[in-house]
Amino acid sequence: MSEAAMQNRLFIPRSCLTTEGNKTGSWRFLRPRYEDKTAPCAAGCPAGEDIPKIEMLTAQGFFKEAWETILQENPFPAVCGRVCFHPCEGSCNRGEYDDSVAVHTLERFLSDTAARYDFRPSFARLPSRKERISVVGAGPAGLAAAWFLTLLGYSCDVFEASPEAGGVLRWGIPAYRLPADALRQDLRRFEREGIRIFTRRPMDRQFFAEAAGRYQAVILACGHGRGQSLSIPGEMEVGVIEGLDFLRMIRASEMAVGGGTEAVIVNGAGCGRSMDTLGEGEAAAEGSEFPGKIGEGALSSFDGLTAVIGGGNTAVDVARSVIRLGGKAVICYRRRRQDMPAFADEVRMALEEGVALEELVSPATAGRDGEEIVLSLRQMIVAGMEGSGRARVIPDGDKMKEVRVRRVIRATGAGPEESWMLPAVEGTKVLALSHCRLVSGEGKLVVVYAGDLANATKSVAHAIASGKEAAIALNALLREGSEAVIPRLQACAVGDGPALSMEVCLGGERRLRSRHIVSYTEINTDHFGFAPRITQPRLLVEERVRSFAEIDLKISAGLAMKEAERCFNCGLCNGCDKCWLYCPDVAVIREGEARRIHYDYCKGCGICVVECPRNAMSLGEGEGEG
Amino acid sequence: MDAEITEREYMHSGHVGCPGCGATIAMRFFLKAMGEKTVLVLPACCWSIIAGSYPQSTLKIPVIHAAFETGGATASGVRAALDMLGDTETTVVTWAGDGGTFDIGFQSLSGAVERNEDFLYVCYDNEAYMNTGIQRSSSTPYGAWTTTTPGREWKKMRKKNIVEALVAHRIPYAATASIAFPEDLLRKAEKAKGIKGSRFLHIYASCPTGWRIPSEMSVKIARMAVQTNIFPLYEVEDGLRYTINHKPRGYLVREYFRHQGRFQHLTDRDLDEIQKMVNEDWELLLRKAGERV
Amino acid sequence: MRRVIEGSHAVAEAVRLARVQVTSAYPITPQTHIVEILSEYCEKGALKARFLRMESEHSCLAALIGAQLMGVRTFTATSSQGLAYMHELLHWAAGARLPIVMAEVNRALAPGWNIWTDQTDSLSQRDTGWIQLYCEDGQEVLDSTLLAFRLAETVNLPVMVVLDAFYLSHTYEPVDIPTEEEADRFLPPYAPRFRMDTAEPCSFGALVPPGDYMEMRHDMALAMEDALMQLVEIEGEFTRIFGRRHGPIEAIDCNDAEIILVTSGTITSTARLVVRTLRERGEKIGLLKIRLFRPFPAAILRETIGRAKKVAVIDRNCSFGAGGIFAQELRAALCNLDPRPLIYGYIAGLGGRDVTPEVIEEIYRRTQSTDRPEAEGVWIGLREAL
Repeated sequence: MSEAAMQNRLFIPRSCLTTEGNKTGSWRFLRPRYEDKTAPCAAGCPAGEDIPKIEMLTAQGFFKEAWETILQENPFPAVCGRVCFHPCEGSCNRGEYDDSVAVHTLERFLSDTAARYDFRPSFARLPSRKERISVVGAGPAGLAAAWFLTLLGYSCDVFEASPEAGGVLRWGIPAYRLPADALRQDLRRFEREGIRIFTRRPMDRQFFAEAAGRYQAVILACGHGRGQSLSIPGEMEVGVIEGLDFLRMIRASEMAVGGGTEAVIVNGAGCGRSMDTLGEGEAAAEGSEFPGKIGEGALSSFDGLTAVIGGGNTAVDVARSVIRLGGKAVICYRRRRQDMPAFADEVRMALEEGVALEELVSPATAGRDGEEIVLSLRQMIVAGMEGSGRARVIPDGDKMKEVRVRRVIRATGAGPEESWMLPAVEGTKVLALSHCRLVSGEGKLVVVYAGDLANATKSVAHAIASGKEAAIALNALLREGSEAVIPRLQACAVGDGPALSMEVCLGGERRLRSRHIVSYTEINTDHFGFAPRITQPRLLVEERVRSFAEIDLKISAGLAMKEAERCFNCGLCNGCDKCWLYCPDVAVIREGEARRIHYDYCKGCGICVVECPRNAMSLGEGEGEG
Repeated sequence: MDAEITEREYMHSGHVGCPGCGATIAMRFFLKAMGEKTVLVLPACCWSIIAGSYPQSTLKIPVIHAAFETGGATASGVRAALDMLGDTETTVVTWAGDGGTFDIGFQSLSGAVERNEDFLYVCYDNEAYMNTGIQRSSSTPYGAWTTTTPGREWKKMRKKNIVEALVAHRIPYAATASIAFPEDLLRKAEKAKGIKGSRFLHIYASCPTGWRIPSEMSVKIARMAVQTNIFPLYEVEDGLRYTINHKPRGYLVREYFRHQGRFQHLTDRDLDEIQKMVNEDWELLLRKAGERV
Repeated sequence: MRRVIEGSHAVAEAVRLARVQVTSAYPITPQTHIVEILSEYCEKGALKARFLRMESEHSCLAALIGAQLMGVRTFTATSSQGLAYMHELLHWAAGARLPIVMAEVNRALAPGWNIWTDQTDSLSQRDTGWIQLYCEDGQEVLDSTLLAFRLAETVNLPVMVVLDAFYLSHTYEPVDIPTEEEADRFLPPYAPRFRMDTAEPCSFGALVPPGDYMEMRHDMALAMEDALMQLVEIEGEFTRIFGRRHGPIEAIDCNDAEIILVTSGTITSTARLVVRTLRERGEKIGLLKIRLFRPFPAAILRETIGRAKKVAVIDRNCSFGAGGIFAQELRAALCNLDPRPLIYGYIAGLGGRDVTPEVIEEIYRRTQSTDRPEAEGVWIGLREAL
């Protein structure tokens, strides 16, 4: 028998070894890697909320985690889910595809869900420090500063002149937009986190002297509570009412019955500007102090036409409140409707509710004619455009117009209550930041001007941004000195800034994200299908005008998840696994939630990077970490 | 997401497919649907190399390398043997390129499906003889450059409509699929697996090397072929019942062509001509599916 | 049981007795009777096999390659153009070491069309790695076919059982048909040395780099060499069961012969008659039948006919430019002997032309009367130019 037969073997082309011995990764000249980036919404949110992550968690049904993600950057989800003007939605990449994601509605949903199940959040926070900080003003800026300073380990005392905390949230914004309960839902967490809020504690200059001994710093966030005069002849004589005061009076009336989602207007209720003098039981009795002398029972018989001067949110709030009090309102605005600083949606709803709008008119004089006030208005014309995109207007020759109204309410801007609240001018010890101003001196108390006192844009979101910036800046100043403030802030920036991230400041995972802001062209829209944006359910207009009940209604978890699924999650890996799916080399390894590239086999084709729907991967040269 | 796509892999890393190879993606998806009870007949094609050289094998199923033109016949024999051995569980699959299907293997394929052999024939189509260096096949589309249709000699004939040829055999199941639509591909593979008799799956598998496209665009380009109606996704049961699985919003073919080096010589007039052909084919398909044109 | 049957029928009987599991066929005259009978056997259940009615000979063999790789016994039959068409896969089957058995009915190659016997079709496949057995009569056809399975499965090489068109395929002769029990005793069920199995997933036939290819081919060569000894051994067993022996070659009156005729196939039977007649007249003539062409039994041939003065090879085939193929092979086998016989090559009977006793005697006389061969191959029986 021959050799072959003896051995009873066959030498045949039968292959039974795997190809895993071939380290085909050596072919690679470009290297894909996971790299989370910054979503335009997050960069566009003044509070720097991690919106793609919030929506990702919401879509996955992790409502508590989503809500906590908001809280990490913003202590006011219930408030902002209602009153924020949501610039995030304006920068949403999905807007270029079909319609932006209803981030605002989802924030509201998460806060509703948190309230419903009484979620108790858990946070990252630094260990306690010895320094104590006082905060003047329990509005959104002051409270936000106190919140973030607490997370940074400081103990904070907040002093508030009014009988209840919240500032403009409590006393300025009407209940149909922000019910007191919603605000309290957010405020309760402050107490739980150990922040002490002292109400009915108006501040004066003297406070600084006393504070220097007890506190290392004062955050001054008293807001702009004093309305600006129209400066027209007859203004004092006819008794033009200040819009902020008017709104405050309405909100104060809620206190008499303990508040509620539906504001109840009590006959004769009202209050003066010095809210600190009002006890809950006294509100009704002291209502007559209303400066505009509307008189006894004014709120119960608000009939006739009210002229509201201005074009901002306060003007619209006032006009819509007038409607709810049974009156008629006409907004007189010196530019056009599209130039109004008020939110477009608010203006639209106001008109639906019966508010009239007089565009291109500017009050010239006011005079009394019996029960009526004769307001003469100068007609304006557009004479070009301002840089901001608003029309520049000039008087249209001598053309005048006259309206006869029962009362005039002005809402033409506001300033600080006292002149000492104005932030210090620039100097060597003054650090002027995006949303606040730090004034420090050798061994002296550090003063931080925050909120409306330092913000160009007066919005709740900007107030929160101010509070956060104040907290991070102050921490840097106290820990590392004034030189460290700017670098620290830059290190915490979301995208290009000025939005800041507390999560980054506290060393959370978000710090690993690239600052690159994902653009629409970087989204692989092949992986998405058109889906209509959720419509915010609202009260019917007939229901709206009858009461101060909240207009925006709740949405179901199912709808919320569906809406959240519309989010591209720009720049954020949501574990969709397209990278794993399309890899021709089986070189994407899934380890639980994590994804890893096996560089022994990855040939660097880059399909994973292109197929990533949300640009959470990058392809580059070099052999860095994957 | 994609929870329905099994994590199980039937393909090893370390294969020698080009970076971004669409044919390897096709195989990976396909086997996820087929599972381990599969015997693969592999006539000469790119996959003859990708499947591993002796003594290695890329796939976790038995692979029978077969002569170029024998895809249908070899599978017929494999099926017959399994029948004789009483193995009804194992699926016999022929996995062939376009050359082995449209050209040299067409007789064998036609014979096998005419006999209604109980097997699944998969053609992964990269539209030319890629393994030998990008030579024209009858699957090469109108307008394409290849190394045997260079310069002004670019291919002036239409791509053979292989699915319709199979449908003419009244094959129980014929379908198109794309590496850019994995759910659709897996569904069709699973469906085909469950049908008795001859089944045919035509998978569009991009070739970065031969199409002159960046490797990272591989899947994207395959998707565009569907989005432009150049490669419609549809299935035909018993040679009669047409179902169009994806109705694109009608992207212009221009989009698909401009990304690929093999079409760079085409003029606007050529592209208009191609657009007309694509529209014509699409309308024909719509009619067959009984849909409004 | 002894029956008078066609050569084709003898093939089919052997295939039935071998319990082939998969068979494939594509019709070509004169192979058709074989597959027609097999079709009937399958239909009647006499043979429990899948019968694949393929669309070409190429596909026939491809299908068997697939089937045999899965671990079943397979068979096909073809002829001439069909075999030529299979050529690629003949290499494939052998390279894959698959013990496929094929009946090949010798038929001339076109053009022009010719359906009659001629060995050029099978002999031009001599380098494909197939064992080739050339048969003389119906009994040998049956015996060779049955034996082919045993031999193929022992050395893992395919076997071609070759028979002449019509002279054998369509000629009725008495043939002893073994019982199934006897056949089973000789040929146990197929036990493949390897098979494709989903439980042990491997690939077969992948790219083999130069570093391994040559060793695999060497292994094939060793197996082919071994086939001669295996044939002898297996035939020993065959003889014990059936009482018949055919051998790789058969020598008749060769010991003292000065001129030995070398034949294969049905010409042998005619040559037997010529040799007997001439011996009776006192001529020192012998006859050598070559049954096993691949592996070529060179050593046995050297031993058997090495001492003759002259050897006349009758080839019903032609390798153009080199004469008859058996003659070539024999020259090569004997060339290193010293002294060695003169090899006279004759080409006769192409395209089915009758090789009569007269033709054979003419060959003998011509060999006897010339001192040296006139050419590589001398064409016998050509018509005078018109």
